[in-house]
Amino acid sequence: MTDAPAIEITRLVKHFGDAVALDGIELAVPQGSVFGFLGPNGAGKTTALRILTGLARPTAGAARILGSDVSTAGNDVRAQIGYLPDVPGFYPWMTALELVEYTGRLFGIERRALRGRAESLLEMAGLSGIRTKVGGLSRGMKQRLGIAQALINGPKVLLLDEPTSALDPIGRRDVLEMIASLRGRTTVFFSTHILADVERVCNMVAILDRGRVVANAPIAELKRRAAVDRVVIDVDGDPTMLIGEIEKRSWVRSIERMGEQIQLGVTDLKSAQRELPAAIAAAGLGLKRLEGAEKSLEDMFVELVRHAQQ
Amino acid sequence: MSGFSTFLAKEFTEIRKTWRIFVVPGMLLFFAITSPIIADVTPALMASIAKSQPGVVVKMPPPTWRDSYAQFLKSLSQMVLIAVVITGAGAVSGERSSGTAVLTLTKPVSRRSFILAKIVSQAGLLIGATVVSTAVCVVLTVVIFGPSPVGPLMASVSIWAIDALLMIVVMTLFSAAFAARGASAGAGLGFFFLTLLISIWPPANRYTFVGLMSASGKALMQQPTGVLWPVATALGAGVLCAWGAVWVFEKQEL
Repeated sequence: MTDAPAIEITRLVKHFGDAVALDGIELAVPQGSVFGFLGPNGAGKTTALRILTGLARPTAGAARILGSDVSTAGNDVRAQIGYLPDVPGFYPWMTALELVEYTGRLFGIERRALRGRAESLLEMAGLSGIRTKVGGLSRGMKQRLGIAQALINGPKVLLLDEPTSALDPIGRRDVLEMIASLRGRTTVFFSTHILADVERVCNMVAILDRGRVVANAPIAELKRRAAVDRVVIDVDGDPTMLIGEIEKRSWVRSIERMGEQIQLGVTDLKSAQRELPAAIAAAGLGLKRLEGAEKSLEDMFVELVRHAQQ
Repeated sequence: MSGFSTFLAKEFTEIRKTWRIFVVPGMLLFFAITSPIIADVTPALMASIAKSQPGVVVKMPPPTWRDSYAQFLKSLSQMVLIAVVITGAGAVSGERSSGTAVLTLTKPVSRRSFILAKIVSQAGLLIGATVVSTAVCVVLTVVIFGPSPVGPLMASVSIWAIDALLMIVVMTLFSAAFAARGASAGAGLGFFFLTLLISIWPPANRYTFVGLMSASGKALMQQPTGVLWPVATALGAGVLCAWGAVWVFEKQEL
């Protein structure tokens, strides 16, 4: 593998009439990473994936997969990717095995090798032995079938649009484990609005809102950034006076009260840890707990999206 | 197997495994069987109707193989062509709306291959069903009317088939151009009736593909058909429509 990114998106813009779906997004997805493409509904995730697969064209900017421009490379790029759309469409008269074999033949896989590969992928997807036509499968089963067909060519880049949205908890866990197992071998780029999925399997994440990337970093770094600016205090008594006192401090960014508990957003954690016990004592309250709380990715996500919307 | 041949094989399997096998082939076979029978019983039917109307006398010559073939050709040029329009309307738009076009086109299959496989599969189905049903019609005609020449029917059905193949390509263009199956069916029916209307004008009938229908009738009557211009323009229009379907589909976002 070279150091060149598996996916490189440069100033990508997509308009639908007057509506702006993508507003100059920039991304670089390292090879072998599991990259979470996170965003609320309507953020532009599916549009970006449709451009990456060549199903849609950008209004401006460029998208490259393994160094090739997706809008001109055609079959060369498609031969190296696997794709699962958000709502996969299959031929209802085929069985699961027929469908996976059909997609394998589209990649030019030899018939003898194809049967074994298709069967093992169906087994991995929990669909082995199912003889029902695809039209009779549940949405979750279709989603898992979609993942199986997306892997038939052993893709270098796997593009998954909301792969766990229709799955039950067990199916979701299985799919996430499968995605995690591909790390290092295949670049997985998956869009989702389920934060827990990103936290569980991704090593990198980009947060998209209203067609703009509002954060793009390794998960660990994003969580480290989030962890230092929140302090939780539990006091013995009414904290009203205390709040009046500490909101004057320059390092306080936000105050949230829940009964006797106060959550502070702080810009300087050390000053907060030094000054808060004295302020609590001065207010005549007992200190039950004082700790720096790790902000979850969800907090970070909500904050970033709100900030972008403002 | 390349993307084209795999997709084409899928098309033929789909025809075999779904309702598509019953529509155009089913209709062709139905008309192949019923045409000789209708031709045989029509004079007797007319006579019995006339008997119930006092003063009405119907004199019809005894039916021949030509009546049987003419009945078959009439059904082809009306009902079967309309069936071609209806079934062809969903060829591309159906795959687009169900999401199966995305499944195929995110693999190493070009949109050109997709469109051409659609045309080839429908054409193959039509030609196969036409050959079988024409043979059935000939056999039944021989059984009912005795020895009958095959040449006039083959010539007229061949000319009709060129018209039907052109309709397949036109419907592929409409199906690629319109998002909804109903819209492409409407456009196809409009095209069908417009060509019938234009064919009334003698120069159009002589020099363009709209004259294929009357040339087909003339071939059955063993008259000079003057089919060169209609066939040549049909080929030209077919190539143009196929190119148009590819062009329109390549421009679309899925």
